[in-house]
Amino acid sequence: MSNNHFRIALAGNANVGKSVIFNQLTGLHQHIGNWPGKTVEKAEGTLHFKGYTIDFIDLPGIYSLSTFSMEELVSREYIATEKPDLVINVVDASILERNLFFTLQLLELETPLLIALNQIDMAKKKGITIDIKKAEEILGVPVVPTVAISGKGVYQMLETAIEVIEKKQKIEPLKPRYGREIEERIEDLTILLNKIQLKYPTRWVAIKLLEEDSEVEKEVLALSSEIVAAAERMRGELEQLHGHSCPTVVTSERYHVANMISEEIQTIAKPLKTPLSEKLHTVTTHKMFGYPIMLITVLAVFVGIFSFGDFTSALLSDNFFGVKPVFDSVLGTGIVGELVWGGVMEGIIGGVTVALPYILPFYFILYIFEDSGYLSRIAFLMDNLMHKMGLHGKAFIPVMLSFGCNVPGCLGCRIMETTRERLLTAFVVTLVPCAATSVIILGLVGAYVSIGWALALYIINLIIIFVLGRIAFKALPGEPTELIMEMSAYRMPHIKTVAKQTWFRLREFIVMAFPLIITGSLIIKVAEVANLLDPIANIMSPITVTWLGLPTVTGIALIFGILRKELTLIMLATLFGTANFAQVMTPAQMIVFTLVVMLYIPCVATIGALIKEFGGKKALLITVLEILLALLVGGIAYRLLTIM
Amino acid sequence: MHLPLTALRNGETGVITATDCTSESKQMCGHKKRKRWIKNAMTERCHRRLNDLGLTPGTKVTVIKSAPFNGPLEVSVRGSLLAIGRGMAGRILVDVTR
Repeated sequence: MSNNHFRIALAGNANVGKSVIFNQLTGLHQHIGNWPGKTVEKAEGTLHFKGYTIDFIDLPGIYSLSTFSMEELVSREYIATEKPDLVINVVDASILERNLFFTLQLLELETPLLIALNQIDMAKKKGITIDIKKAEEILGVPVVPTVAISGKGVYQMLETAIEVIEKKQKIEPLKPRYGREIEERIEDLTILLNKIQLKYPTRWVAIKLLEEDSEVEKEVLALSSEIVAAAERMRGELEQLHGHSCPTVVTSERYHVANMISEEIQTIAKPLKTPLSEKLHTVTTHKMFGYPIMLITVLAVFVGIFSFGDFTSALLSDNFFGVKPVFDSVLGTGIVGELVWGGVMEGIIGGVTVALPYILPFYFILYIFEDSGYLSRIAFLMDNLMHKMGLHGKAFIPVMLSFGCNVPGCLGCRIMETTRERLLTAFVVTLVPCAATSVIILGLVGAYVSIGWALALYIINLIIIFVLGRIAFKALPGEPTELIMEMSAYRMPHIKTVAKQTWFRLREFIVMAFPLIITGSLIIKVAEVANLLDPIANIMSPITVTWLGLPTVTGIALIFGILRKELTLIMLATLFGTANFAQVMTPAQMIVFTLVVMLYIPCVATIGALIKEFGGKKALLITVLEILLALLVGGIAYRLLTIM
Repeated sequence: MHLPLTALRNGETGVITATDCTSESKQMCGHKKRKRWIKNAMTERCHRRLNDLGLTPGTKVTVIKSAPFNGPLEVSVRGSLLAIGRGMAGRILVDVTR
C-alpha cells in the first residue's frame, strides 16, 4: 500500500453499533457482498479523508475469535493474514466486561488496535461512567468515546486512527496475562513454536493450542506433530489442576482479566430513573403483556405489508399493462409481439410486482426489528412453540412472514445461525400456505365445497408442516442448536443504515430471481404459442387423471402455477371456460387439486430465493421433495375421498 | 446447594460450577436420571458458546424470569441480558445458598 492508502477493519460484538459507524464513515461508497465461498456478509467501503484514502471493512459481529462459527473464522483469518493497518474495536460501553473479553482476544492477535467506546450515552443512562484515561493506560491503546447514531466522536476517532497508523502516537498494547499454571505452559509452547514458521503470532498460537482450536491445531500438526502432542499433554495437566476442560479454563481466566479491567475503569451508580429501554424490555417480555403486544405488532406489520403490497402491486401492474397497446403497435400482435410481451414483459411485471410492493417493505421492517432489538424478544417468546418443530425461537419470523409470501420467508432464514437451521427453516417456510395459496383455498374449496373444508385444509397443512419439520429435524445431519442469544438493550434504529441494508438485499434478490422469473414465463409462453400445452397436459395425465383423479386440463393450470400460484385458479377458469367450478369439478376433485397446489412446488420466485440463499442443489432438492410430497398427499386424499 | 439453572426462582442468583458434563456434573450423571443426562450432554459447540458469552465456572448469574409455557430463561450475567433455551439452561449447574 502507498503511504496514504490504508486499510482499517471494524471489529466487535453484535449490536454494538459497528455497522452504524461503518455507514457514518463510508456513506454511499460501499459494497456489500459475501466472503468468497462463504455465506457470511462482507461489507467494504472507502473514505477519502484529509488526503488519505481509507478502505474500511466491516467484520461480522462476534463474541469470540474461535472457529465455532463461520463469522468468527472469517474475521480472525482476515485480521491475522490480511493484516489491516489498523483494527478499530467497537465496544459497547454499557456492557464493558463482555466487550473487553473480545478486545483481549484482539490484543492477543497482536494487531494494531484502537478502541471506539460506543454508546456512551446509553451507558450514562444506565449510570455507568468510564475513565477513558485509565482505560488507555491499562489497555495501552487509544480509546475514543463515540455515539455512532449521532456521529459524535467519529471524526476524532478517525484522526486518532490515522495518528496511530502514521506512528505519530506510540502504542504499547497490553499483553493479557493468565494464571501462573497457564502462563508457564504458554511459555513452554512458545519456545517449541519458535522453531517453526507460522503466519500467526506465536503466543497466540500457544494460547489457541491450549484452547483446543481445531484450525490452529491442524496447521501446527502439518509442521510438527510433537508440539500438538505436547499441547495435548498440557491440556490434560491443566484439566487435572482446575477440574474443568482446558478451553473452559482459558476462557474463564480471560473473562477474569476482562472483569478486573472493567472494574478498574468503570464506576456504576444506580441511575435516578429506570431507562425507557429497560421499561420497554420488561413490558415486551412480560408473561401477561408480552404475547398480546407481539401479536398486535406482528399482525400490524403483516396487514401493513400486505395492504401496502396489494395496493402498490395493483397500481404497478395497471401501469405496466397500460403500456401494452404501445407495445403492440411497435411489435405487432404477431408471434414476436406475443412472445416478447407474454414472455419477457409479463415476467418482468410479475417480478416487479412482487419485489417492490412486498419484499422491499419486508426487508425494511425486518431490519428495523433486528436493529431495535425487538426481534430477539420475539424469539424469546416464541422459542417454545418453535421447538415443537425442531427449530428455535428466531425461526418464528420467517415462518410467520411466509403466510404472506414465501419469498421474504426464505430470505428471512438468514437470521438463523447455522446452515442446518437455515435449511430446516427454509423447508418449513416453503410449505406454509402463502397469500396466493389462500386465495385458491378460499376461492375454490371455500366457495364451492364448504368453509369447513377450507379450514380443514389449513389444519392438514399445519399438521404436515409439524410432522415434516420434525422428520427433517431428525434426518438432517448436524447438531441442533439451542437458543442462546443476547437481548441487547432496545435502541433507536439508525434509519440510514436500515435503508441501506434493505437496498442491498433487494438488489441481490432482483439479480437472482428476475432472470429465473423471465425465463420461466418465456418458456411457458413458447409452449403456449407452439400449441404444446395440450400435449403436455396429456403426457401428465397418468399423474393428474389416473393418480390424482383430476380433469386433464388441470395439468396446464398446475404448470402455470409454478410462475405464481394464483395463476392456477385463473388458468383453470380460462381452460374450463367458466368460473363456476361446481359445474366442471366434483368437490373431491377441488379438494385434491387445492391440496396439490398448496404443497406441490415453491413458485419460481421462491425457488429463486432458495437458490440465492442455499445454492441450486439444495433448492432443487426442496423443490423435488415438495412435488413428490404433493403427489403423495393428493393421491392419498383422492382415494380416501372416493371411499368416503 | 447444587442445582441446574432452571431450578432457580425468579430473581435468585447462583454461581456457576460447571457447564459441561465433565468433573462435577458427572456426579450428577450418576443420578437416577442417568440416561437422560448423558443423552443431553452438551455439545462442545454450545458449551463453548456459553463460555464465550461469559457463562464460565465461578460466574454469578441471576435468573430474571422465564418465558411463559416453559420457554427459555432470561438471565443477567456480566452486566448483560441473555436468553437461554430451557434444555441448555438445565445443563448449567449453579451453586446457590438458600
